[in-house]
Amino acid sequence: MATEYALRMGDGKRIFLSKEKILEELEAGSADAADLGEIPALNGNEIDKVAEILMMPGKTVSVEQGMEVPVTHDIGTLRIDGDQGNSGVGIPSSRLVGCMMHERAFGADTMELGHIDYSYKPVKPVISNECQAMEVCQQNMIVPLFYGAMPNMGLYYTPDGPFENPGDLMKAFKIQEAWDSMEHSAEHLTRDTIWIMQRLMASGSDGVNFDTIGAAGDGDFFGSLHAIEALRKEFPNIYIEAGMAGECVLGMHGELKYEGTTLAGLWPHQQAPLAAKAGASVFGPVCNTNTSKTSPWNLGRAVTFMKAAVKASTIPCHVDMGMGVGGIPMLETPPIDAVTRASKAMVEVAGVDGI
Amino acid sequence: MASKEELIQELSDAIISCKKDRVLEAVEKAKGVMEPSEIIEKGLAAGMNEVGTLFERGKLFLPHVMMAADAMTAGVQVLEADMPVGEQKKKMGVIVNGTVEGDVHDIGKSIVSTMLQSAGFEVHDIGRDVPIRDFVNKAKEVNADMIGLSALMTTTLPGQKEVIELLKEEGMRDRVKVMVGGAPATQAWADKISADCYAENASEAVAKAKELIVGK
Repeated sequence: MATEYALRMGDGKRIFLSKEKILEELEAGSADAADLGEIPALNGNEIDKVAEILMMPGKTVSVEQGMEVPVTHDIGTLRIDGDQGNSGVGIPSSRLVGCMMHERAFGADTMELGHIDYSYKPVKPVISNECQAMEVCQQNMIVPLFYGAMPNMGLYYTPDGPFENPGDLMKAFKIQEAWDSMEHSAEHLTRDTIWIMQRLMASGSDGVNFDTIGAAGDGDFFGSLHAIEALRKEFPNIYIEAGMAGECVLGMHGELKYEGTTLAGLWPHQQAPLAAKAGASVFGPVCNTNTSKTSPWNLGRAVTFMKAAVKASTIPCHVDMGMGVGGIPMLETPPIDAVTRASKAMVEVAGVDGI
Repeated sequence: MASKEELIQELSDAIISCKKDRVLEAVEKAKGVMEPSEIIEKGLAAGMNEVGTLFERGKLFLPHVMMAADAMTAGVQVLEADMPVGEQKKKMGVIVNGTVEGDVHDIGKSIVSTMLQSAGFEVHDIGRDVPIRDFVNKAKEVNADMIGLSALMTTTLPGQKEVIELLKEEGMRDRVKVMVGGAPATQAWADKISADCYAENASEAVAKAKELIVGK
């Protein structure tokens, strides 16, 4: 009987696969990305390298010496204290303690201050609190500290915001009204993000993290790109991380363009140049994990997408690695065997600049 | 005069263009040459299938799907006047769709609702963060054939199971099908909680709903 290696399904379930099956799954995953993104599939050597990483005997693996990359953590400020049934550990601690633990104990190279609601819009009424927290953190920390939240354009639609939900409008065949609603929401998203960051920058923030751009579709991407552009203009030295929500920009509007490029349907290698053009310092590409597929299939697919994004990008690519993205299974606390293998493959095969 | 094949192609292309006037023009042209049912099945429906494929491939987007569906409805309405009563388009089924309690994710569920509606189902989208009881109450109110349950978080996934259990308690489980979806859901999960089906994306949701409801 052929040797079998302990791996996982995309939902985290333990599976055992032979080397032949691993190679087959890697090739199929890579071919899927190549087909969707119209990008090159991984070559034989790259497939072999990812397979070798997956078959390593240790529970955890690490990059080769000299290949270390910067790591950061979004919303890590809240992960120590938070305990909402997800990956928070529920240890009573302030956001300052959360940030400092990441800086001094967990090896984060940069950190982010975030609010529990974690979207830009709800930061407006608590802006003074956020500015104060930023100042206190900056006085105590050495690593660059950014302010971060999700653009989350959905908060501008009913029932959370002033504009009618485009999903409801479309179901009533009110297409023009749906387009108007998305365009107005995008304007508000841009305006709010700029307003918030003007204040956080005055409180000493080193930059901004746009976390999960495009979560509400192409309008969300549109509003975020315009906010990035405005912030770069106002603060020439601001560090801007443009992190995406998913691998493909959902075409909720379908007709929005940035610099002449239609935003709907863009894949990571097509998103990266636009983020750079808008003025981002770093791009955070994403590849979603399919919970019904094996980890080799997901990793082969994710590495293929990320390799193409790195190649197309004129700014560093810090890949999004975590629950349900980057070839990592979707579990509240992603299993360390899968996280470290996927991360090593991203650095050594896809060539990402950071995580 | 255009051949039947050319007319079929024109009908299909008109749907893919998502333009209502172009569809109506193509329908008028085909009317004297083809049977209404043939115009619908071979021309308009074939075009809608292609729209679905292009949507899945990220080449057409949600508003385009809705515009194509709207154009198809207009075309079918024109033809219905010439069709025998028994052949007229019937409602495909009634579906209650929503995201379970505790989960505010809306977009995936909305895309599924839109695609189901454009495929001819009567869809009652009851929103996101929907209490378990509301799914059952709405299904009773509209005499639903199916309930669609979306969850995008591992922590809210159990809500899908709770709806199924409540349907059983209410004695409704035998007549109401249940479809589950959302990133953390899998076929294995659907089997475990005795859902009737799991759909990975919006196109699959439409295909499986047709199989479950129309085929039942």
